[in-house]
Amino acid sequence: MNQLIPAIGFGLITASILAIAAVGFTLQFSVTNILNLAYGDIMTACAFSAYVANQAGVNIWICLVIAALFGAVFSMLLNRFVYFQFVRRGTKLFGMIIVTIAMSLIIQNVLLAIFRPTFFSYRASPGPSHNFGSMIFTESQLAIMGIAVVAMLGVHLLSTRTKLGKAMRATATNPSLARSCGVATDRVIDVAWLLSGALCGIAGVVIVLNTATFSEVTGANFLVPIIAAAVLGGIGQPYGAMLGAITIGLASEVAASVINPSYKDVVAFGILIVVLLVRPQGILSEVAVAKEVTA
Amino acid sequence: MAAEPEPILAVRDVHRDFGGVKAVDGATFEAMRGHITGLIGPNGAGKSTLVGIIGGQIMPSAGTIIFDGHDITVLAPHKVARRGIVRTFQLSAEFSKLTVLENLMVAAPSQKGESLLGAELGRVYWGRSEDALVDAARAVLDRFGMTPKENELAGNLSGGQKRLLEIMRGLMAEPKMLLLDEPFAGVNPTLALEIEQYLLDLRDEGLSMIMVEHELSVVERLCEPVVVMARGKVISEGSMHDVSSRQEVLDAYLVG
Amino acid sequence: MSDAMQFYLSTLLIYLFIDIIGVLGLNLQFGVAGIINFAYIAFVAVGAYTAAVVSLGPDHPDNFQHYLFGANWPFPLPIIAAGVTSGALSLLVGVISLRRLRSDYQAMVMLVLSLIATLVASNASGLVNGPAGLATIPQPLYDQLGLAPLDYQWVYAGWAGFLTVLTFLFVRGITNSPLGRTLRAMRDNDRAAAALGKGIVGLRLMVFVIGGAIAGISGAVFVEFIQAWSPGSWLYPETFVFFAAILVGGTANNWGVMVGTLLVPVGFLEATRYLPEILYRGFVEAMQWVCVGLLILLFLWFRPNGIFPERAARFRPRAAAPTGPANSVAASE
Repeated sequence: MNQLIPAIGFGLITASILAIAAVGFTLQFSVTNILNLAYGDIMTACAFSAYVANQAGVNIWICLVIAALFGAVFSMLLNRFVYFQFVRRGTKLFGMIIVTIAMSLIIQNVLLAIFRPTFFSYRASPGPSHNFGSMIFTESQLAIMGIAVVAMLGVHLLSTRTKLGKAMRATATNPSLARSCGVATDRVIDVAWLLSGALCGIAGVVIVLNTATFSEVTGANFLVPIIAAAVLGGIGQPYGAMLGAITIGLASEVAASVINPSYKDVVAFGILIVVLLVRPQGILSEVAVAKEVTA
Repeated sequence: MAAEPEPILAVRDVHRDFGGVKAVDGATFEAMRGHITGLIGPNGAGKSTLVGIIGGQIMPSAGTIIFDGHDITVLAPHKVARRGIVRTFQLSAEFSKLTVLENLMVAAPSQKGESLLGAELGRVYWGRSEDALVDAARAVLDRFGMTPKENELAGNLSGGQKRLLEIMRGLMAEPKMLLLDEPFAGVNPTLALEIEQYLLDLRDEGLSMIMVEHELSVVERLCEPVVVMARGKVISEGSMHDVSSRQEVLDAYLVG
Repeated sequence: MSDAMQFYLSTLLIYLFIDIIGVLGLNLQFGVAGIINFAYIAFVAVGAYTAAVVSLGPDHPDNFQHYLFGANWPFPLPIIAAGVTSGALSLLVGVISLRRLRSDYQAMVMLVLSLIATLVASNASGLVNGPAGLATIPQPLYDQLGLAPLDYQWVYAGWAGFLTVLTFLFVRGITNSPLGRTLRAMRDNDRAAAALGKGIVGLRLMVFVIGGAIAGISGAVFVEFIQAWSPGSWLYPETFVFFAAILVGGTANNWGVMVGTLLVPVGFLEATRYLPEILYRGFVEAMQWVCVGLLILLFLWFRPNGIFPERAARFRPRAAAPTGPANSVAASE
């Protein structure tokens, strides 16, 4: 028991990071039908953008904003000038996955070539620790959880309370219908990539704040739990991704403390397999089924 | 043809909902052997879902489907096809990187070289039946006036040719019933007339069909009887002439 | 020719044969049947590990490396074991992931599987010696043949070539047959193929297992040649070298993908492997991967069918003139 409570604490932090990342990942899929397997590497690129600013003496929390902006613009441009161009040229689902993987290889290795194969860390102190029962959090970990809550609330409010959110959901469900109803789908897609890219950027920085060091593969290594969380929740479902993130985050940290820390991802994958066997469409996913039928 | 029409397919109280939306909500009808049964109704009436359920692509939440004396309700699509129901799709579903001739050949059931062992035994084993299959496919191409397109990649055909290809391919699968989901969508009027005639010929040879179609004049020319669906239910059945004058049908089309 | 040159050339030739075997298997899965197996390299790895451990002697506590299933099996049993194990594992993975999932889900699951496999191999130290990997794997019949090292190299090249020919004939037996046609139809439109009575799940599983077994054999031939194998030898991007070879050579064209193999993994990656280090250690390798990525993108953009596109099947000419409608509308569009 004395092991379990702290593990739940770690689980909450992992879940927070995962939620930010998985919601961004799933948003890209729901609005544009692209499974962006370069997502992890874009996270790394964002972490590096914050690193460069941080080295220049910028406060880490401003660096977080910079990384969010960088991720937003980078993702939007990546979609507009690479992914969307291939889609327009008639590259199918098959091809698009390979395109995103190719981008993943390119981004990761360009980063490696620029920054060299070594470990990096930010100039930022994790702050004093606070005890909550037997859970111990540093201030920056508390901040990570705060950021996650704010980001999730933001996504929720945006998608339910604003016109843009409705346009995004309309585009996700049926792009041609949305277009004929007067939704500027191109603009909506740009915004979706900006938004998901910003989440990707934030995730890239907070993951480093939590682990203290990073390298060119940090984001790519995080892709497994991201995918697990997104699929678990029913891919394309932001709320599902949040739920998936909490499940995966808690389960993997608890399992890590009980079994072996290096098996965190294996646990995530195990959960994924069970879900795929029992409910391949994910937890919250009637919509995905309907989409399949009409497709 | 026998004087008394005999049902080949019976759909009984079939339901299916998607996330609370009742796409098909208790549909019941029968399709007669040797007839082209029309399936019509306003957008969102559940026609395509019902076709999917009959074809095995969609599992019904409740109800039964009896085809030719067998319960096919829960069968997977390929097993439905092996029982004799072959469907076409609303969106073109050609095998785009295969030639037109190959598209037809692939549809033939239980080919000799289609098992792993058979394939590895080589042409010695499957060569003769393959030659016979080429002849059979060419005969179908000739019949439907597609001979010159034999070696064209199916992906390069026009929209109308792709629809016709699907029908020809369906015939190669030796069906007892064809399930046609909007076979005239995107087909130019001249070719559409030609396809109409082909379908009538096939019917006269004894092939049963169910056809979902929006263009009511086509339905009137080809289909007897007609089944009208609205909001997931069958609301009327009969000849096109009878059905089109009924109040509930008019209401359904007006309300949408 | 100098001995050093002969060593270099025979090594390249052996790599070429091994890569061709691997690419033929992946092309059967991806090019012909449309299964995106991003975990392909993991099945190569399983074959390599299997061949390694069964040809090594039983584990002993004093050994410098630890593993399961050490058996001292003689040639050619390790290769057969590799094919069988990889095939069996493919069956297991296939049953779980190929049954009901959409193809993009499948691709994603495969990628994750590849990452997880590396993790397990690195961390389960008693299984295949963890991150350090296995070494001193015996070469087949080395002692029995009693040849000079260089002569042995050429004999091994001949053996690898023989296996390549066998693999090619086996794969071509499928692709040139009615079965191959059915697989390509499934690749182009699986729903339509199912609606014509083709059992999609069974076909996919079959191809997945065959491809997996071929991957295992290629891994076995590789590991018995280089005599060492570790998690670093099969990181997931290696799969994309194979994909690049297929896309460059010509998807679904057996001859094309062999040319692609000659160009990408052998011609490009092996040839640049001996470039002097520029700037710092690792830079050249990073640039190689960037090039692989760019190569994939450029080919998908400019020549999506590769250098040698899939060939349309031609059948014997008609015996008699066509019958049928003289002036059909259908063909005139």
